[in-house]
Amino acid sequence: MLRVYRKLLRLYPTEYRELFGEEMIAVLLQERDENANRKLAARARLALREIAGLVGGALHEHVRVRFEFRDVLFLYDGRFTMRNGFRFPKATAVLMTIILAGVIVAIRKGEVIATTLPPFSQPVTPVHPAHSYLLPGVIAGILFFYAVGLAGWAIVFALRRSGVHRLADVSGEQH
Amino acid sequence: MALYDMSPQVINDKLPLTEPVLLILLSLASEPQHGYAILKDIERMSNGRVVLSTGTLYGALRRLLEDDWIERFEEEDTSRGKQAYRLTPQGRRNLQLEIDRMKQITRLASLRVALKER
Repeated sequence: MLRVYRKLLRLYPTEYRELFGEEMIAVLLQERDENANRKLAARARLALREIAGLVGGALHEHVRVRFEFRDVLFLYDGRFTMRNGFRFPKATAVLMTIILAGVIVAIRKGEVIATTLPPFSQPVTPVHPAHSYLLPGVIAGILFFYAVGLAGWAIVFALRRSGVHRLADVSGEQH
Repeated sequence: MALYDMSPQVINDKLPLTEPVLLILLSLASEPQHGYAILKDIERMSNGRVVLSTGTLYGALRRLLEDDWIERFEEEDTSRGKQAYRLTPQGRRNLQLEIDRMKQITRLASLRVALKER
């Protein structure tokens, strides 16, 4: 596991790594030693939390360095990585298993259909020109919905930062 | 003066602190600590509710160092020369501001809740 942590540390900017790299490895070592006798599930949870923290931290440091974002950490502390531990909802694991099973069944089904069909001898023809007109429309649609989503997210984010959404909770007291 | 003083002197742009940052500062308030000790102390102080990853802890420490809220030094009494962290006077002042802010909110909340219950 330590090898994985060392590899993930390489994702950090050089300056950061030089400053904290060895210290972080020492902390990870101490944590690993202390948890050596715990159950496999507990150790896996710990490893997942550390991996998520290292990847998130490295990403944050690059964004900070690249865009000279000074205040992002306090935002990041509260909203993203600095949650109360790393929690992987059980429902997600069940959902992922169902999706994986679905994908496997679909592949098997596809293979069965492929073997029952006669060999396809017709040459593959290029896409009809009429179809290519659809493509820009589809791309424009995706971009439009992406922009709407982004704008919505920005509004919600701004409201959360300003605390305006909490006004509704206190306005009742003033009547 | 308003019960909850929100003047810039009291509430600077760094407050309120997030819970993990507050816990890091509280961990360093009584004595200097090294990274692993901070992690364990935070876990103990929050009864296991706040568990930071190493990456998250060092991200916060970097920021606090950059803002001169904490400082880094080499512990002399260890054979390995571990790096440790302690609060700077500015960090201690800001921690006190945050504690005062929280006290005021608690007092206000108690008053409001008591008024509602009458």
